[in-house]
Amino acid sequence: MVKKVLAYSYVYLILLLMYVPILVLILFSFTNATYIGTWNGFSFDLYVSLFESEEIMVAIGNTLIIAVISAVCSTILGTLGAVGGHYLKKKSRAALENINQIPVVNAEIVMALSLVVMFVFIGNMIFGGQNLFSFWTLLAGHIVISAPFVYLNVKPKLQQMDPSLYEAALDLGCAPRQALYKVVFPEILPGIFSGFMLAITLSLDDFIVTAFTRGSGLLSGANNIETISTLVQAKIKKGPIPPEMRALTTIIFIIVLLVVIGISIYRNKGTRYKSALRKRMRERMD
Amino acid sequence: MKNNYIIDLKNVSKIFDDDTIAVDNFNLYVRKGEFITFLGPSGCGKSTTLRMIAGFEFPSKGEILLNGKDISNLPPNKRPINMVFQRYALFPHLDVYDNIAFGLRLKRIPVLKKDKDGNPVLKVDHKKIRELKREYSLIKRNRHLEEEVKKAKLEDLEEKINKLKTTPTQSYSYVKLSNKEIDQKVAKALKIVDLEALEDRDISTLSGGQQQRVAIARAIVNEPEILLLDEPLGALDLKMRKDMQLELKEMHQKLGITFIYVTHDQEEALTMSDTIVVMKDGVIQQIGTPKMIYDEPKNAFVADFIGESNIYNGTMIGTKKVRFLDYNFVCLDDYPLNEKVDVVVRPEDVHFVKEEKAMIKGTIVNKIFKGMNYQYTIMIGKNELMVKSTSSYEVNSLAYLSIDPDGIHIMKKDFATNVYTDAWINKNNEVMIDDRPFACNVEQLVSGGHLDEEGNVVSKDGKHKYNFNDADVVAEIPLDKIDVIDDIESEDCEVVGEIVDSIYVGDHYRYIVRTENEEDFVFVSPYTYNLNDKVGLQVKKEDIKLRLKKEVNAYEI
Amino acid sequence: MRFRFQRKYLCIPYFLFLILFVIIPIFFIVYYAFTDGTGNFSFDSVVEFFTTTNKINVLVQSLLFSTLNTIICLIIGYPIAYILSNKKLNSNYVIVLLFVMPMWINFVLRTGATRDVLTWLGINGGTSPYVATMIGLVYNYLPFVILPLYTTMLKLDKSQIEAAIDLGCNRVQVFTKSIIPQSIPGVVAAAQMVFMPTMSSYVIPETLSEGKIVLFGNSIYLGFANNQWNSSSFMAVIMLIIIGISMLITRNFTEKDEGKEETRW
Repeated sequence: MVKKVLAYSYVYLILLLMYVPILVLILFSFTNATYIGTWNGFSFDLYVSLFESEEIMVAIGNTLIIAVISAVCSTILGTLGAVGGHYLKKKSRAALENINQIPVVNAEIVMALSLVVMFVFIGNMIFGGQNLFSFWTLLAGHIVISAPFVYLNVKPKLQQMDPSLYEAALDLGCAPRQALYKVVFPEILPGIFSGFMLAITLSLDDFIVTAFTRGSGLLSGANNIETISTLVQAKIKKGPIPPEMRALTTIIFIIVLLVVIGISIYRNKGTRYKSALRKRMRERMD
Repeated sequence: MKNNYIIDLKNVSKIFDDDTIAVDNFNLYVRKGEFITFLGPSGCGKSTTLRMIAGFEFPSKGEILLNGKDISNLPPNKRPINMVFQRYALFPHLDVYDNIAFGLRLKRIPVLKKDKDGNPVLKVDHKKIRELKREYSLIKRNRHLEEEVKKAKLEDLEEKINKLKTTPTQSYSYVKLSNKEIDQKVAKALKIVDLEALEDRDISTLSGGQQQRVAIARAIVNEPEILLLDEPLGALDLKMRKDMQLELKEMHQKLGITFIYVTHDQEEALTMSDTIVVMKDGVIQQIGTPKMIYDEPKNAFVADFIGESNIYNGTMIGTKKVRFLDYNFVCLDDYPLNEKVDVVVRPEDVHFVKEEKAMIKGTIVNKIFKGMNYQYTIMIGKNELMVKSTSSYEVNSLAYLSIDPDGIHIMKKDFATNVYTDAWINKNNEVMIDDRPFACNVEQLVSGGHLDEEGNVVSKDGKHKYNFNDADVVAEIPLDKIDVIDDIESEDCEVVGEIVDSIYVGDHYRYIVRTENEEDFVFVSPYTYNLNDKVGLQVKKEDIKLRLKKEVNAYEI
Repeated sequence: MRFRFQRKYLCIPYFLFLILFVIIPIFFIVYYAFTDGTGNFSFDSVVEFFTTTNKINVLVQSLLFSTLNTIICLIIGYPIAYILSNKKLNSNYVIVLLFVMPMWINFVLRTGATRDVLTWLGINGGTSPYVATMIGLVYNYLPFVILPLYTTMLKLDKSQIEAAIDLGCNRVQVFTKSIIPQSIPGVVAAAQMVFMPTMSSYVIPETLSEGKIVLFGNSIYLGFANNQWNSSSFMAVIMLIIIGISMLITRNFTEKDEGKEETRW
């Protein structure tokens, strides 16, 4: 019993330490002070100035747009890759999987630099010294870091799938493409979804690839595209985290918390919900 | 007559990419409404054959006719054939109802197009032309088809296409089944499989037996002309399996659909089928009714695979007289005098009799109670005989037995001796079988000849000399002259292979060893080996019999 | 011949994408590593790297930081994963989720917060850069260690542990002879998640040491910021080589693991 208490107090202590920086930020998001540690009385001033700061709003906008577009692209590419790869012969599949593994194991900074070097070279040699860096190079960079993870999320679903499902669909009258859409796709949907979520997370969190491959465009106009990562990095190089960012952290934290709670509720009640939905659909059909 | 055959497989072979022959020259016709079973051990090609009928595999050679029409290259979704899969293959994301309705929702019913006045619209059928063109290109690309057959088929198709292009025909529009129709059909199918109450259930909440029923309902709801069943009861427990067997049989009678059933369970095959096709190594061993196959097995494999049996080596000693177990018996089959044969005796065809009526006697060494009867093992000399009887006898007592003539079934021997027709002699005067050198006596090729120091054979009178380097020969090795070496690393092994077949013949086993190059060596041994055991084989020099393919003069020097 | 749809063709777009944006760029890195500014073949970057003590120091320092970070994370994370993998799965899954949750908050923001809190506590990058950087690294990579260890330990063969007890092992022996060997694949996976990313990290050392500590990642970043394509490309090549070596080392473990899987089937 004592042992158990000791063990769990260790776990909770480390857990607490993990949350210290975040909790401190959240705490000090409710006071208008430049530095954390100083308490200037409770206020929502920082939340107001967060939404008034055009710089931050542009960065948030950019971040979200890039995350959604790159995650959608990554999901489509990675899923197609996994489905196609599943039906390749052993050797070709091994080749595809090995290449897919490169961005996963490779250091992000090396991937980023390799892309930059390529874009610089192509810009110099083919486009006569033109600067190629733009939203498109940034997008390519984000897809490179997230698509392999979509692939890795979809692959196990395909492996778990009974191979005769596809054949059963053909047997019942599906054309090959119909069978993929009607049977294989619903089977791997959970993998696609978790791949998509992971792609969003990777993109939201990314600093290195963004900093390397970005150019001008999007909401930043003629300046280099700023995302939350690059903006915060530029600021904390010179001083403390901008006070408004403490408010942003609080908001992000609450959203994450809600998502986590939502997912666990969905997991428990998902099946019940599904059958209810089906019943309703059936009723509508009749 | 021909109209009776719903499906007709003609010289069908399937060779996979890695050159394994899964099905070899398969010929079979199935009558409408028949319950036919493909029976054989795993890897015998039964599932591949079924998959070719379903359309998941295309035959490498030969053709499959459905109602007289060639469907060899038709994709599965275009065939009026449905399948019940081994592990059911139900769609987990759909519930019972949607699984069963899956095929119906894809179905399109042709409806004659009519103009305002109700007259049929005449149009050139472009769809049919496209279909025929597709078939044309498929046949054109089929590498396995013989050139002449191909040409004839292509010309025939071309003619059809041209005819269609010039003559307008009645045209159809294709409509979906209405939800009401689907509902009715699904309800009917659910009723047939006894699952009316479960239509809203998720697949994952169903038991194995229920899933099985859904799989059957999903297939029969489409009203296929043929229902294929690929070991559908394999995943069920024994009791459930027995019940389902009877139910399937009943369903077959009620629906009147042709059933093609695949199983490795001989009992299942015997209970359910009208016709059984016994297969081994991609080759049909026997086709017949269950009774025919049980009572008149064509060879030792069929006898061994179907039911329990005693198999012995016998010799014909007169007209309808055979000798085995060191006794003489009267039988009903006639084979040439002195022919070595396989004799099969079913355990229930041996009867315990009074001493004075006994044909054979032996000692009971083992007795097992089997519920309905006792199963005895009786030693007749050094041979074992399995007997089933309802009366009880003591172990170690003497048993007096008789076998009726119709209980003795005689079959031509599969293997009297190993024959290798593509052997040749290498420069060391060894015979090459399966690309491996075996020491042999090349002198036997010249009567009374002997070897000189240079490796040439000198004739008896010393006048002629022969050099047999590169000579093509036929080599024969008797079954009992092959020695087995368990240590496959040993230098004594002349060839190494895997045991692929074993049959118990009274007092010893007969094994087939297959080498990497797919050459078979058959040998007999009193010792037990398991399937897939790796063994080495050795043959004594004097036990290899050689026969030249050409005249001996061709090798004179 | 008519094009006929086959399922495997679906991977073509992804395959082309990988070739274009993964394989070819790596060739460019190698190309830049062994050329000079004018595009001629040269070993300048190689020579520069191995003669500049500064750069060698960066390499050694990065290796040290990575090793230390991996060890500390494993020491802290292993007991946590072990405790959490024991018994009631559901309640502990929530705690595991709590450990992972900070990762969903922007990484740069979290790093900045760590620095600000440390500064507030008096552990400031200006005065104690090594301690601050180390704390920042451990803080960031701990969840990456706990997750793979936890999943491996969930799969621990309980009957093997019982067998060890049955055969007379005491608690310590059970741990050293059964639990640790069984969790090796998880440890390897966890180390993989920490070692290489630490070497190539930029934001954490840059922020927490206030620019005083330069790891390999920072070094490449600086090269990039100053348009020194050739020398940073050569450093990237070195990075690739180290990754390759670590892959080869860890592959032995994973392959053994796969072998086990096969025999089980």
